[in-house]
Amino acid sequence: MVMAPPAPAEHRSSRRAPSGVRREPARRTPIRARWWGFAIPSLVLVVVFFVVPFALNIPFAFSSWSGYSDDIRLIGLKNFELLWERGILQNSIGITVVYAVIAMTVQNVVSLSLALALRTTNFVNSLYRSIFFLPVLISPLAAGYIWRAIVSPDGPLNAAIALAVPGFDKAWLGDPVTALVTVAFVDAWKWSGIATLVYIAGLNSIPSTMLEAASIDGANAWQRFWRISFPLLAPAFTFNVVTTLIGALSAYDVIASTTGGGPGVSTVTLNVAAVQQFGLSYFGTASALSLTVTVLVVVFAVPLVAWLRRREVAA
Amino acid sequence: MSAAIAVRPRRSSGRMRATVKYTLLTLFAIPWVGIPLWLVVVNSWKTQGEAARLSLGLPEQWAIVENYAAVFTTGNYLTGLRNSLLVAIPTIVVVLLLGSAAAWAYARSTSRSFQAFFYLTSLSILLPPAVIPTIFVLTTLGLDGSIAGYALMMMGTRLGIAVFLITGFIRGIPPELEEAAAIDGASRRRIFFSLMLPLLRPVLFVGGVLLVITVWNDFFFGVLLLKTSANATLPLTLYSFASASTSSLRWNLVFAHVVMTSLPLIVAYLVSQRQVLAGLTEGGVKG
Repeated sequence: MVMAPPAPAEHRSSRRAPSGVRREPARRTPIRARWWGFAIPSLVLVVVFFVVPFALNIPFAFSSWSGYSDDIRLIGLKNFELLWERGILQNSIGITVVYAVIAMTVQNVVSLSLALALRTTNFVNSLYRSIFFLPVLISPLAAGYIWRAIVSPDGPLNAAIALAVPGFDKAWLGDPVTALVTVAFVDAWKWSGIATLVYIAGLNSIPSTMLEAASIDGANAWQRFWRISFPLLAPAFTFNVVTTLIGALSAYDVIASTTGGGPGVSTVTLNVAAVQQFGLSYFGTASALSLTVTVLVVVFAVPLVAWLRRREVAA
Repeated sequence: MSAAIAVRPRRSSGRMRATVKYTLLTLFAIPWVGIPLWLVVVNSWKTQGEAARLSLGLPEQWAIVENYAAVFTTGNYLTGLRNSLLVAIPTIVVVLLLGSAAAWAYARSTSRSFQAFFYLTSLSILLPPAVIPTIFVLTTLGLDGSIAGYALMMMGTRLGIAVFLITGFIRGIPPELEEAAAIDGASRRRIFFSLMLPLLRPVLFVGGVLLVITVWNDFFFGVLLLKTSANATLPLTLYSFASASTSSLRWNLVFAHVVMTSLPLIVAYLVSQRQVLAGLTEGGVKG
């Protein structure tokens, strides 16, 4: 707000500057023109390597581009029809959505609980915060290998369960349902540490006088959380829910190192299917699947942001 | 009487609650962080046969040297490390430097087109990058499959988060300092390098941490954009090393590679954890 007044003035003066001014030695370049030099390098990188590919994805998704022919033409909805007939499209959309919802739920429940427990900054809490942050540093691919070992039939998870249920040897990644839940869980495990810090920041921005006042008025811890902390936590909640959901809709790495899409096709998310099509040199269908991820992000994230933001205003 | 009784139980129940809380936290931290990390480390010390049992006990027969030597020889660790550094360092430097310059322009200019550029750049935070058309763009530029092409794609798609964070930060700094420097005759470039960049240090640190975590660990874009094993980054060398055995994974070797791949970030974190956690927590308030 503070910087608003001077800027329009620069703006106007540069617009009114007679064209002859530019020819004079560089000292008198219009102020606005001097901003361009700062913005352009970043803008060029963003446009060439993000915006242009993003825009090209639309025609590619409707094209016959493949490694088998030099003839690229627009073929309407054929790529989508082909993927639908083979069951790939509807299967991978369903799996991607279920994966994203599980990952988002687990991640937010865990990180919000941890944030509530570790909210105050002191030595012990800082130690726990830094321990719970460690998985964030590990690559999702490596996280996949680690959990593949833990849930393997001979792994520590079954060994622990076998203490209560002798001979327990479930192949968690061999069953379609538990495989999908496991890979989504690994995604949540890897990212919870960051979401925890966002929630801690959100909790610490709540004025403590408010909680004290409620406590004096006789509100118990449960009421203080649901009536005061949770509504005021809305911006952190929006941020975490949306970022975890968007991240999980693009899931690939964890699956590559755990199930590879199996058993059968039960963990083939849209990105896994896109890489498979790409590997077969069907670039058109691969683009169609990748465009579907974008559509899902827009379809889910936009209404979600709008809805969660409304909650923020109401709070 | 009631007051005296009321105070004492509350204090001891507070201590009780703390004990319960930290017991629960520890019980949660053991399977959540402790066991996964210990499993990796201890099994990377075992022989292949022993590691196949995936137990948490210490090795009966130690094979540290053999396993870690395999990571360097057949695991192509040094190639992966070199390539990861060749991607991560330029990406982080370029994104933070060019991102700060653009963010300064977006924060201080009220020009409509700059506001539009700001939103266009920030869009890459929400929307997933279109990787297949990126290959097309890189092929057109003659950079297909190269480290440079991959790094450029990383820069283009990570600038969004950096510009977004830095613009927010600059909007919170009063412009008087810059104006005073301009009146004193400092050039724009001079103001940027001698005044703005030092002021931005906290947000650049947070941005750098987020960039390191995502760039160093990326696998999806690398697997599609880096064609040859000579250009493979660490996650790609880990993947091909693990996939080399056809039947079941050789856990001792996979885990030794996981340790070595994660080590650079873990060491950097252990050195700077206090700043990382504080930075990300404070950065989160603004984001």
